[in-house]
Order: sequence, then C-alpha cells, then structure tokens
Amino acid sequence: MINLENRSSQFALQLKEISKIYPGPPIVQALSDISMSVNHGELLGIIGSSGSGKTTLLHIMGTLSVPSSGSILIDGRNVVGMSDKQLSGVRSQQIGFVFQEFFLLPGFSALENVANGLLYSGIPLDERRERSFEMLGRVALEHRANHLPNELSGGEQQRVAVARALVHNPSFVLADEPTGNLDSENTASLMELFTKLNEDGTTVILITHDLEVAESARRKITLRDGRVYSDLSR
Amino acid sequence: MDHSTSDKFTELHSKMNLRDIFSVGSSGLRTRRVRAALSVTGITIGIAALVGILGLSQSGSADLLKDLDALGTNLLTVQAGDGFRSQEATLSLDATAMIDRIGPVYQVSATTKITGGVFLNDLIQDGRTKGITIVAADLNLLSAQRGSLKSGKFLDEMTSQFPFVVLGSVAAERLGIRNTSGDQKVWLKEKWFMVIGIMEPLPLAADLDRSAIIGYPAADKFLGLDEPPEVIYVRAYPEHIYDVRSVMPATVNPENPEEVQVGRASDVLEARIAASDTFLNLFVGLGAVALLVGTIGIANVMVIAVIERRNEIGLRRALGATKFHIASQFLTESLLLSVLGGITGVAVGMSVTATYAISQDWSIVIPVYVVVGGILCSILIGGIAGFYPAMRAANMSPTEALRTK
Ligand SMILES: Nc1ncnc2c1ncn2[C@@H]1O[C@H](COP(=O)(O)OP(=O)(O)OP(=O)(O)O)[C@@H](O)[C@H]1O
Ligand SMILES: [Mg+2]
Repeated sequence: MINLENRSSQFALQLKEISKIYPGPPIVQALSDISMSVNHGELLGIIGSSGSGKTTLLHIMGTLSVPSSGSILIDGRNVVGMSDKQLSGVRSQQIGFVFQEFFLLPGFSALENVANGLLYSGIPLDERRERSFEMLGRVALEHRANHLPNELSGGEQQRVAVARALVHNPSFVLADEPTGNLDSENTASLMELFTKLNEDGTTVILITHDLEVAESARRKITLRDGRVYSDLSR
Repeated sequence: MDHSTSDKFTELHSKMNLRDIFSVGSSGLRTRRVRAALSVTGITIGIAALVGILGLSQSGSADLLKDLDALGTNLLTVQAGDGFRSQEATLSLDATAMIDRIGPVYQVSATTKITGGVFLNDLIQDGRTKGITIVAADLNLLSAQRGSLKSGKFLDEMTSQFPFVVLGSVAAERLGIRNTSGDQKVWLKEKWFMVIGIMEPLPLAADLDRSAIIGYPAADKFLGLDEPPEVIYVRAYPEHIYDVRSVMPATVNPENPEEVQVGRASDVLEARIAASDTFLNLFVGLGAVALLVGTIGIANVMVIAVIERRNEIGLRRALGATKFHIASQFLTESLLLSVLGGITGVAVGMSVTATYAISQDWSIVIPVYVVVGGILCSILIGGIAGFYPAMRAANMSPTEALRTK
C-alpha cells in the first residue's frame, strides 16, 4: 500500500544520540544516548520494564516532546529545532499514533473518528470521508461506520483508532501499549491486524512491556534504564 | 544517504479551513447540550434585560423629554392654597387682570371648576359623573397649554357665548365620543351642550384631560356661574420665570400672599423623567450585572471543559493540530455559547417589549442598534470569557495532555 517512491529517505525514522532529561526536581535522565534507524516497512517492537523510558521515547519519536540532545530524522527530515507549528505539520502528515486508551472522541461516529486523522491535513471533507471509509474497510469495520464509540467493543474501538492513525498514510505508526486495555482474544486479533498492515507496507513501531505481544515483531529493541540494551532481528 | 538538513524538503503544514474550525468548535456543545443551555442563561437574562428596557424606554417614556421641549418650562400654575383662615381660600375676581400687569408675563388663562355632571343623555343618571368635571375657561387656554385638537375646533369669541363644549381627551373617551362630525350633544349640568372639539392630551395639565370645557360667557348665561378663577395658567418669558414666580403671590393676594400656590407645570413632567431615568438606570445596571455573571459563568464552564477534555487536546495535538487550532476550537465554542445566549436574550427581550407595549397601547419600537448591540455585546463576551481557557488549552504540553488517570 505504501508507495516507497514517495519516501525521501531509505529510513522512516532515525534517532541519533538522543537523550532526555526531566529537569525535575529530582532530575531524571529518562533516555541516554539512544540511536536507531527504522526502515520503511519494518515492524519494530520496543520492549522494556515499567519506567525504562518507552513512553518518553515514543513521544520524542512522535515529535510530541523534544529531546534534550541528539537529532531525529523523519523520512530523512531533521525535525530537531523545528517550531511547534512546524512539528504539528510533521505530525499531521507523517506520523500516526495509537494509544492504550484508544482516545476516540465520544459523540463522533467511527467514521468521523477515523476522519479526524485527516482533519488537520488540509484535505477536503469529501475526500476525508471517502478515504476514512476505505480505511475502515481495511480494519474490517465498514459495517460499524455510523456507530458511536460507546456502541463498539474495546477491540473494535482500538481498530477504529488504528484506522485513524493510518488514514493519512504516515511514514510510520507509533503504538504505545495498544493492547493494554484489551483481553487476550482482542490482543491477538489486533496484533494480527498490525502484522497484516505491516505486510501491506505500513511501518509500525510498537511499544509494549508484554513479551508475548512483542513476539509479532521481527525486530525487537529492549530498553533498560533509558538505554538500548539489545537490538535483535529475526 | 544521510539527510540531516531539511532544506530540500517542502515544509509540511497543518491546515484547517473555517468550516472545520466551526464544526470542531461546535462539537463540544453538540455533545453537552444541557450544560451548554445552562451556562448561557446568565447572558440570556442580561441581554434580555438590556434589550427589553431599552426597547421599552424607546416605545414609552423617552418621548417625555421631547415633549418637555415642545411644551416649554415657562408655564406657571396659580391657585388658591389652604390659608390660615377657616374658610376656604379663593382667588379674587380680578386676579387675572393683576397677573397680566406683571411685565414678563405674556399670556394669562383662567379656569374655574363648576360642580355638575356630564352625560350622553338626559335619561340615565345614576349619580355617577364618570369623573368628568365641568370647567369654564378663557379662550386662550389651549394656546397657553400648547395643546392641540384631535377633532373639531376650540372655543372662540362666538362659540363661547353659546352652549358649546370642548372635551378633554379622557373625557371624550369616557363618553365614547370619537369625533365632532354629526351633532354630538352632551347633557351637561341639566342643559344640552354641543360638542365642537376634542383635545389631544395636555401633558402640562393632566386634570384638564378629564374635563368638559365651556366659555365663561356661556357658563354665566346657562349655568349661572359667578365664581372667581380657580386655577390660572400663566406664560412668562423663560429668562424671568423665577422673578415672576416670586412676585406672583403678593400680586395675586397682597394681604395674604401665603394663601397663593404657584407651581411650575413642567416640574411634574421633569419629575417623571427623572423617575423613569432612575428606573432605566436600575435595569441597565441589573442587566450589566447579569452579563458580568454570565461572562464569568461561561469562562468557568470553558475552564472546566479544557480540564475535562485534556486527553482530547492531547489527541488533537498528536493528530497535527497546532496551538492556534486548539485555541480557535475553544474560542469558537465560547463564542457560540455566548452568541447563542445573546440571540435568545434578544428574542426574549423583544417579545417582552412587544407584549408590554401592546398591553400599554404603545407602538412597538425596537431600535436596530439594540438588536445589533445585543449580538455584538454577546460576541465580545464570548471572546473575553473564552480567551483564557483557549490560551490554557493551546499552551498545554501535548505529552502532559495525553497523560491519563
Ligand atoms: N514529565 C516527567 N517529569 C519527570 N519525570 C518523568 C516524566 N515523565 C516520565 N518521567 C520519568 O521518566 C522515566 C521513564 O518514564 P516513561 O513514562 O517513559 O516509562 P515507561 O517505560 O513508559 O513506563 P511504563 O511501562 O510504566 O509506561 C520514569 O522514571 C519516569 O518517572
Ligand atoms: Mg509508558
């Protein structure tokens, strides 16, 4: 699905010597000297115990917070030093997010929630609807298009959120504990979905402390105390 | 393969058109209708009060000031007051002539009340006089009052000699006489008098509105009147009005000046204007307080909305919303709230004005500036109330906003 010719760089994401210090008090060095490159089309699992810095890393990858030092290239573009407005632009076009708590907006239908993924992209409303409906098809929820979030199961809600993260065809999708609020059955089917989307070309960066969930990833990076402990590929 | 500069990349922009901003801004209200409705009541009441009171003052008593200009403030009313003597005080028969001799006086018009009733026919007389008094008056009374006629003519040299009568506006209404076409007669103190004129209301002498006015010669001839004047209306040059007023008692009754009451007819009108101004100011004040409370109410609801929807703000930032987009979402919401309240308030205020004006037989006057002003005022309020919450939402750090628990 992803047209690699549109991509400016071989890498969807590159981190170079990233550190993050929370000034506190007390001062917390959440990340130290993290470097990694993520290819287009990868399914990368980032694992680590609680407090190891996973969420901090995800926020930096997603330009939601800035590192204390180091550089980040998204599809070859250095985003460090960009203004808040420019970073918003990067997120609106190049990054998709999936959260543990789904964060669907109540009062909006499944279709509208997916379309919110295109809300800040400058695409006309008709096209947003069309692409969102298509995207709902890819997560097998066309028949739920007009349902409100509270009329959907947890698994369905998270699939809507995945559709929202993908509808603008981002360079990569960041998922922070996406299965954290799902039972084992829904966890399995969500991971199946991620695997399938990845096979279709989507770059997925999956953050979890659940080793079983991480099993779906061909490449696994383990964080320990804010450092890369291991980086293994099958 | 390493591109560490962003120069060769086209810049990526978050974009949102006005329709999207409006739609996102209204979404918060669509999903919380009851709260939205409750939070605008303050604005609604405030705007309704202001529109209502301004509309009512336009429809009603604001004309008083204009009246006063037209009627003049130089009309004095001279009458016999209660003296120290036991018998009732009266003016002397030559009081009119004596007043006329005061230099700055240019018009003197005497009136005398005559006991007796005025009826439509000579058959049914149940003793009730309908509150209409018979008054004998000089021919210049209408001009001294700066009054005008609704129908017919006022008394003149000729008609004042005969049983002809001019009715005050209220008297005509009570008798059910609308105009002077046809030979309308009234049974006035056991004599038939023909109605030759009906006056418009006289703001400077409201008691004359309830009277049936005949000439002194006719009063003398047909009703046997030989009483002195009771109330004398005096027009003097405005710059000397205070002097005239002060010499008046001694001129009219040199022996007992304290028995003469001199009043300024326009004082009553001025008192009414002052009273209605106080009333107006009170309501404008109340409206302003309601608006202030309403503004705080909306600001409060918006602050709560920002706190409650922290995660939504975080999500929208993650989806690419800029600070400006977030601020405009909450500002739009606040503006919609207050304008909603403003429109409701204008509608309520207008219907109150219309209802009251109809009940008072006034023409309904709702100035455009009141309606436009009410809406503009509510827009201003929305902006003020929404500013701080919108800034707070916009400046929330995305990671902080995405935090749960
Ligand atoms: N805003 C902050 N201010 C100060 N310290 C913070 C802040 N956010 C995170 N930390 C600290 O940084 C470290 C990494 O936190 P992070 O949330 O990234 O961990 P995590 O791996 O996501 O953990 P979990 O699995 O529990 O979600 C922790 O020690 C945490 O206390
Ligand atoms: Mg975490």
